[in-house]
Amino acid sequence: MKRRTLLQWLAAIPAMLPFGSLRVFAQPRELTPDAIAALHEIAPTVLPAALGGNRARNVTDRFVAWTRGYREGVALTHGYGHPRLQKSGPSPVPGYIAQLSALSADARAKGGTWSTLDHETRRALLDAAFTKAGVRQLPPRPAGQHVVADLMAFYFRSSDANDDCYHALINREVCRPIAITTKRPQPLA
Amino acid sequence: MAVHESDICIIGGGITSAMLAERLSELRPGVRIVVVEAGKSIFDAQNRGQYRQRAIDYGEHPWHDDYIEDQQAAGIVSMTMAVGGLALHWGGACNRFSEEDLRLKSMYGLATDWPIEWRELEKYYGEAEKRLNVSGEPSPHPEDARSQPYPQGPIPLSYNLQTLKTWAEQSGVKFSPLPMARNLTPFGGRGSCCVYDTCGEVCPSGARYSPDFTFKQLVAPKKIVLHDRTLVRRLILDDTRSTIVSAQAVHQDRPNDAIEYRAKTFVVASGYCWSSHLLLLSASPRFPNGLANSSGLVGRYMNGHGFIQATANIDDQTFPGQNMTHSLISRQYFRCAADKPFVRHDTRVWESSAGRDPRLRAPDGKLLLGDELMADWRSRTTGSSVRLRAYVDVHPSADSRLTLDPLKKNRYGDPMPAIEHHFDEATQARQAANKAHVLDVFGTLAKASNGRIVNTSEGDYLDHPGGGCRMGSDPAVSVCDSFGRTHDHENLFVVGAPTTPTGGCTNGTLTFVALTLRSAHAIANA
Repeated sequence: MKRRTLLQWLAAIPAMLPFGSLRVFAQPRELTPDAIAALHEIAPTVLPAALGGNRARNVTDRFVAWTRGYREGVALTHGYGHPRLQKSGPSPVPGYIAQLSALSADARAKGGTWSTLDHETRRALLDAAFTKAGVRQLPPRPAGQHVVADLMAFYFRSSDANDDCYHALINREVCRPIAITTKRPQPLA
Repeated sequence: MAVHESDICIIGGGITSAMLAERLSELRPGVRIVVVEAGKSIFDAQNRGQYRQRAIDYGEHPWHDDYIEDQQAAGIVSMTMAVGGLALHWGGACNRFSEEDLRLKSMYGLATDWPIEWRELEKYYGEAEKRLNVSGEPSPHPEDARSQPYPQGPIPLSYNLQTLKTWAEQSGVKFSPLPMARNLTPFGGRGSCCVYDTCGEVCPSGARYSPDFTFKQLVAPKKIVLHDRTLVRRLILDDTRSTIVSAQAVHQDRPNDAIEYRAKTFVVASGYCWSSHLLLLSASPRFPNGLANSSGLVGRYMNGHGFIQATANIDDQTFPGQNMTHSLISRQYFRCAADKPFVRHDTRVWESSAGRDPRLRAPDGKLLLGDELMADWRSRTTGSSVRLRAYVDVHPSADSRLTLDPLKKNRYGDPMPAIEHHFDEATQARQAANKAHVLDVFGTLAKASNGRIVNTSEGDYLDHPGGGCRMGSDPAVSVCDSFGRTHDHENLFVVGAPTTPTGGCTNGTLTFVALTLRSAHAIANA
């Protein structure tokens, strides 16, 4: 048996198993090195340039850590007024890997890598990918619909982004002495 | 069968239960108190920082397993069923009602009067505020005079709220910092506020009061016995007299083993939903309509307040995220001249980012990326959004009801409750005028700073619900007296939210606690 055939056969085993739960366990739980590399390549397009390379890389790394910390089947906030029990869905990681792979393939089909494409081409690819994934607006937090929209939500919905937007040290979500809040927030350095 | 004997058996483990158990242990040291709660104890305050972070990052519920999936009611406002109850994750608002709430019939010819004098209740408001360590500023209205100062000064207004107070008061309406059960300095074994700003979900420092702290402090020195995960299914009558002799219960882990609680006095402290539910479930041949229900009013006159909200845009600049869980309150419209159309409501003001959050697409549909998205967001942050809300006094009809739904049962086969709120005729008749009044107030507020109202909405449920076992002097039209003692059973009390005849026009928790503390004296002497 050729090595590729063997790998294809091994990859197909989970799909042949009769138990859905076993198939779930066969799914990747972490982003692959290739997927993480692709995400790092895309990040500068969707995060503000003012972050600079190091912060953009840090945001992406923290998003990758977020995917590792994801837990399935956990009760979500059930709300007040019209409460409803909801649980977290399956890990978004398999979908993320497929989406990043598809974006890389799309970039190759346009004749290059993500980094070599012009901005409008990247926008068009993401626009099509978001539409296909049903992403209509920036999620309140990463929601598993599309990996790039979730990376954007991870940053733009954060306390840091709020400070960047207002050019002020508001520190929403950060434990701080209450007296600090009585003053107009200091401008960011 | 396991049998537990006590002097006082409290059924339910929420905030009124915690306050009652604490007060009873002071009034009668050594008295045997057992608290029975259907939900679990979540006594892991040390983990709440982590739970909060996961709630922010993943949307996870920060109170693990604080619900029982098959013990739910149609029309209920929260699924929470745990030691601490809904006050595990309340916002901490501690507003008092006003004398008008207790005199609706005699002052306005509406609804009914409460069988309590305002001066009497006011004393217990003071006691409730001390126990909850409320941080507040006295109301500027002389009718709201207090006999005791707040135990803490007001929560310092954020820069944003200072800006909004200046803006709002240009209308002539006076605003104060919202009184809250939030420690400014450590108190009661709990930390001080450091603006985690997730009061309504979870407070990692414990600055915002939650009853789990009180229960832990009562259990450790054995002032009470707490049995959690134990559902009381029935109250059992004496064979010949109309007193309660026991409560039949079952533990979640041992559903086939009956548990019996015997006590001299039983207190139902199970909140607005499960109190009526237990009384109705406890029907017997001698009381076929349920216990304490010779008036037929158990489960009726379910109340709460309606709410109307709006978003205003103003030119003054704020910085959303400073302290979003704190707010301003005006009590200007708590009272209404008797010769004017009846309308009562509070008025609340919050900082907000509504309409100014980051968005993925420009109005023309163009996908925004990186710098474009930040530039679009930044372009919409000049000026401020303001969140406005009014809780409006509405009055229930007798058909505002909790009933047993025979089609929805828990694992033990007990029918679950269904709640439907309905207003009395007078409330229905004034709804449109009340709404117009509130929107006019909002419009008046918005005039300053080039403000304009950009959207309005009405709540589709009643907030801070109560009722179902309303108090009164006449047994024909009420379930219990002003101390919560049921008219039909001398050793059976109901406390807190269920006993309220009407729901007021501001947050109810402090009132539920004040009423309960007043009941404590009668229960201690029962």
